[in-house]
Amino acid sequence: MSRRFDAVVVGAGPAGSTAAYTLAKKGFKVLLLERGRVAGSKNVFGGRVYSKPLEEIYPNLLKDAPIQRWVVKERFSLAAGDTMLSLDYESGERKSFICHLSELAAWMAKQAEEAGSFLVTEIVVDGFVLKDGFVKGVKIGGEVVESDVVIDCEGVNRLLLERAGFVKGLKADQVALGVKETLRIPSTEIESRFGLGEKEGLSWILLGDFTNGLPGGAFLYTNTAAVSLGLVLMLKSAHSLKEHISNLLENLRLHPLLSKYLKESSIVEYSSHLIPEAGSAMLKHPYSDGLLVAGDAAGYLLNLGYTYRGVDFAAYSGYLAAQAYEKAHAEGDFSKMGLAWYEHLLKQSFVLKQMLKFRKFSKLLDDESLFSKYPKMFCDVAKALFAFDYEVPTLMEALKRSKKDVGLLKLLLDGFRVVRSI
Amino acid sequence: MRLEDILINNVWDVDYEPHIVVDSEKCVGCDTKPCINLCPAGCFTLLGDKIVFSYEGCLECGTCRVICSRGAVSWNYPVSGKGIHYRFG
Repeated sequence: MSRRFDAVVVGAGPAGSTAAYTLAKKGFKVLLLERGRVAGSKNVFGGRVYSKPLEEIYPNLLKDAPIQRWVVKERFSLAAGDTMLSLDYESGERKSFICHLSELAAWMAKQAEEAGSFLVTEIVVDGFVLKDGFVKGVKIGGEVVESDVVIDCEGVNRLLLERAGFVKGLKADQVALGVKETLRIPSTEIESRFGLGEKEGLSWILLGDFTNGLPGGAFLYTNTAAVSLGLVLMLKSAHSLKEHISNLLENLRLHPLLSKYLKESSIVEYSSHLIPEAGSAMLKHPYSDGLLVAGDAAGYLLNLGYTYRGVDFAAYSGYLAAQAYEKAHAEGDFSKMGLAWYEHLLKQSFVLKQMLKFRKFSKLLDDESLFSKYPKMFCDVAKALFAFDYEVPTLMEALKRSKKDVGLLKLLLDGFRVVRSI
Repeated sequence: MRLEDILINNVWDVDYEPHIVVDSEKCVGCDTKPCINLCPAGCFTLLGDKIVFSYEGCLECGTCRVICSRGAVSWNYPVSGKGIHYRFG
């Protein structure tokens, strides 16, 4: 293997494999490095991927990718004690799918390989080759691999960027912690318990006391013959957690309103992952001299409270990084100036447009009362309206009875803040 | 269910050398010790008043590195395919 490549891509997750695939298809010589035993073996996510951006990149996605179920049912629930208030949306439209990320990432890496990039697994990159601040390749063990550009897709922990001084250490207010159990349940059982047809899936986001009042939430996605059940906690406030985080996840699995869906299941995997929450504040500019950064390492993920978008943002940023490389190559300029086109492309695309648009909303998700008080308040109102013996209250009476914890002014102000931020 | 019984469903290729090193001297005087409850794999336990760290069950999320305010955690990616091997992710 020659030691010189057009581009070295670090990390064969959705961002890295997509960057490598796009570059290789254009005829560039690409080295794709992965620290896991196989591509995908270090990847973790919640469970759902928005399809369209990936279809644009991978023309064979719908035919060949390891898609398990298409989301036809969205459920958003507020829970308090043994009560739950839910909103269901059902549609035959196929916009997002549920899969196992390890399988999808392995598939993407295979596309990159088939397009002509060199995939090498079980490789940990020790650092960048730096000449006067210009990235000229990577160091692996005692060896050096040179390239015009390094595309850093190393993931949220971004040790390489930190060691080279491109970013400061991650802070607790920039990330959330996700923990997940993959639960094996026969596919026919999944379909009957959740009211789904073959290949049809449910995405279920829950807010409430699962997180012991801390900012965060819970999720459930139906795979073909498994359910992905998880919890997300904003790390900033999570240090006040009084019990082990795995207990919260267990309480979720055993929750009286959830356990009926999960009976006779067996845990096949327990996983965890940090989720970038600070948006584009994670990284001032996703490029430097000889360097492009994509995916979680750049913070490209959108959390809207009722849905998460990470994989399509990651893959699309990798796709745009490859396009920026092509332009820099044509101009023979791999400096900051030459690679700045990457940020321009990101700003033109849904990736940065969406992240900027919802910046205020993401801040709102830090508010503890949103998680500790409102789910209970809404559940109390529902309880008053639906569970009565003789006399049913009016909506105003029910609201008055339940708003003790919040106060009408706070409710109005928060409502205004939510509306203004979206 | 004990955490051990949940973790046992995972696949690891455990390295001889730890990829994370904890300087437990720095933990002395830390009164919150958020690592104990927040490391999803329970790698940080309390023995008496001392933090004991074991790397074998690590899920490589990076939480310990972020929540430790004392800089006691030196974190590396495990080498040559070692560590957690997610089959589902």
